Amino acid sequence: MTELLKHCNAHRTSQPMSSSFITVLLSLVLYILPAIALAELPSPELSYQLNRLETPVQAPDFSLDDMDGEQHSLRDYRGKVIMLNFWATWCPPCRREIPSMESIYQDMGDKGFVVLGVNQFETPDHVFAYMGQLSVFPTFPILFDPDSSISERYAVKGLPTTLLINRQGEVVYRAAGGRDFDHPEVRAIVEELLAEGSGSS
Amino acid sequence: MQNFNQAIRRRLALLLLTTAGLAPNSYAAVETFTDENSGLLSWKAQHPGFSLQFIQLLPDYVRAVYGARGLPQEVVELMAGYCVFGTIIANESDGPLAYQVADWRYIVANGQPQPVKTKTQWLQEWQDMGVAFRWSLLPDDQQFAPGDWSQGFTTLPLAPGTTFKLHYQWTQQDQTHDGTFEALQCAPDKSADE
Repeated sequence: MTELLKHCNAHRTSQPMSSSFITVLLSLVLYILPAIALAELPSPELSYQLNRLETPVQAPDFSLDDMDGEQHSLRDYRGKVIMLNFWATWCPPCRREIPSMESIYQDMGDKGFVVLGVNQFETPDHVFAYMGQLSVFPTFPILFDPDSSISERYAVKGLPTTLLINRQGEVVYRAAGGRDFDHPEVRAIVEELLAEGSGSS
Repeated sequence: MQNFNQAIRRRLALLLLTTAGLAPNSYAAVETFTDENSGLLSWKAQHPGFSLQFIQLLPDYVRAVYGARGLPQEVVELMAGYCVFGTIIANESDGPLAYQVADWRYIVANGQPQPVKTKTQWLQEWQDMGVAFRWSLLPDDQQFAPGDWSQGFTTLPLAPGTTFKLHYQWTQQDQTHDGTFEALQCAPDKSADE
């Protein structure tokens, strides 16, 4: 990310068509435009159904870096309700659901709720450039799973896939495909999970 | 008024395409859409509680997607040499739904049914080429809960512009269903506006 910022700053102060400018331009052509083009493909409305697992399963722990290279472990968030979202920039529904994740995170973040966006197989520079194209810049942690080993441990087959983990560290809800997380029914589920363990946390 | 007439003409054209694309299966309607900018086609089969969509993708677009993932040029060209569709599959029912790409078959004119290449087969090839990337392709099989859906690329070893039939299957409430796209068409080599 910092590399890209350097490129942007260099562009402001250097001659047109400098190597830095070309690097940023190439990033746009190679990374952002294909993602935007994919986003324009027709796709279904985002639904809001989350599916409760018949038997909750313990969420496997992991440690991943965020965009600034800071490490986040799942166990750091124990006691909170966690929305774990597996995504990538080239995935249109991932792009579409980000504003709703940010919205629910903004509203419930201070009640013990956290969103972790686990990016698949991409670099911080790439993702940072992509974030600049979004209508809403996510403030929740974006983590990097560069070899998709964490998504494999969670048996994620397609992107996006979202899991809700309760305060006890158990996966209790799962959703395959894009969702509108700002929907009242999703908020009600999160509130219910927050209430479930609030006495013991 | 001119815009209104154009809109009516577009809707009539869509209706004609829709009618022409009706599958023999009485409870499945196949709609065909044309992207106004690129001229590329997409098809949507709507069954009770289940929908399947195929969207033409240009070879250059496929190159851009895989090139942007940093995959070796050899892999990028391999993928762009296939007939690739964006595929969207959705559970719109109140119960569980499952599919397996291995059950699907495509048939070109005067040809025999051929299995659709699966993601597992691709991943094995990519692995042999030193590539660990495992996304973008439609998962081989999925168990969908209500509201679940997925998308990914479906690939066929066919030349640009080839027309073919696609038989697909899915399971809903433990019952296997099938449907047919009578005339899917691979994207042309270049878009109409190039």
